[in-house]
Amino acid sequence: MARRPGSFTRVAQPVRSFWSRFAFALLLAGAFALMLLGKADILLVDRFRAGVADLLAPVLEVLSEPAASVADAAAAIRRLRDLRAENERLRIDNERLDRWQHVARRLEAENKALRALTNFVPEPNTAFITARVIADAGGAFVRSAMINAGQDQGVRRGLAAVTGDGLVGSIVEVGLRHARILLITDLNSQIPVVVERTRDPAVLAGDNTRLPRLVYLPQNAQLQVGDRVVTSGHGGVFPPGLPIGMVTSVEEGAVKVTPYVDWNRLEYVRILDYGLDGVVKPSGGVPPYTVMTPDQSSGGRLLGLGSK
Amino acid sequence: MRMTAVQRFDLWLRHATPVGLAVLLAILSVVPVGIPGYAVVVPAYTTMGAFYWAVFRPDLQPPIALFLVGVLQDVLAATPLGTTALCLMVVHGLAVSQRRAFLGKPFVLTWFGFVLIYALAATLIWCLVSVLSLQPIGPGPAVFQYLVTVTLFPVVAWVFVRVHRHVVR
Repeated sequence: MARRPGSFTRVAQPVRSFWSRFAFALLLAGAFALMLLGKADILLVDRFRAGVADLLAPVLEVLSEPAASVADAAAAIRRLRDLRAENERLRIDNERLDRWQHVARRLEAENKALRALTNFVPEPNTAFITARVIADAGGAFVRSAMINAGQDQGVRRGLAAVTGDGLVGSIVEVGLRHARILLITDLNSQIPVVVERTRDPAVLAGDNTRLPRLVYLPQNAQLQVGDRVVTSGHGGVFPPGLPIGMVTSVEEGAVKVTPYVDWNRLEYVRILDYGLDGVVKPSGGVPPYTVMTPDQSSGGRLLGLGSK
Repeated sequence: MRMTAVQRFDLWLRHATPVGLAVLLAILSVVPVGIPGYAVVVPAYTTMGAFYWAVFRPDLQPPIALFLVGVLQDVLAATPLGTTALCLMVVHGLAVSQRRAFLGKPFVLTWFGFVLIYALAATLIWCLVSVLSLQPIGPGPAVFQYLVTVTLFPVVAWVFVRVHRHVVR
């Protein structure tokens, strides 16, 4: 289609020359503006992020499959090599666990009986959604992962994501078919925890390294290397007792925790729905941390494929 | 000489390659690969691309496309919106302004240029993100990512050279 030299060109020409001259500066300013806009925690920005990520979720889903299978194959070869030793270890483990199972059964029965005696308010039933990790965002500034389940599957903001080993993080962004987990190692992640042995409450604060720190410990806390750290359930975001990690160094002013989760093999996660109302409602204004923003969708609660 | 529709489409495809490649790299940089510690130091592939094409074919890398690729990567990686976009723009701007120094010179010089320019951009971004999150972010991961990116640049640039020669022309 031939273009006639007409009015359109005459109008477009100055615009175009203006653009070509100032495009770069305008875009730089645009990037700055976006940064501020994102900081202001505007709903529109959240929607935009979720929308774009939703569009790309299928692409990531397909791409993450071969990458995962290559990693799987490599791991399979390594396992094949260690088969005998592994077998021996498992046999011993099994014996030990059998004994533990026995203890657990006894304790469960005892627990049930005691609860019946004391009119204990039981924890609500748990539903869970299992999802695959389709993107693993790292770099210098964030620790987050994207999964292939979203609003359609019943994922909501604030739910806990776990693996068999322990707590992975919490859901901070939910699209229709994807959701984003803020890992417990992220700078913005702060989780109320309790040290299992001493019952000392604290907050587990991520700092983008592999070892998050325990902060706000009581003055007289007597921690040891090897103490287990679990969620405390304070704030009503996470249920109490989810295993998180182990204290690996206690120094002046810095208690480091090694999470149980194997970050290198983060393939599937379980999103736990304890039916907790979750998210702490802020009293005045919206704090900058996105998990704290009250959930906008107050529709009926959906339950995923979980057990009931 | 007038081109046929097919030729025109072919040319368009070839010219869209740098931007298309940038989009692909942005997506690839968040795909989990299962290498221990990879996610922490995932090299800034898009930045390498931005630098390469800014030096050798700036006409095929319009700033607006680069901006959009940056925003896309920000969305995927959950970095504060605009940071990667700004990083790419800064690298692009500096590289375009200095490209005469690299053209027709040995590759080592280009590499050196990338080392310097990316250092500037990375420092700027680190400062901005620290300001945005109202606390200094531990520089460790940022430094690691910088080193990995700089070290891998020749490898990725080799791929870009192939693409440049055989696809873009």
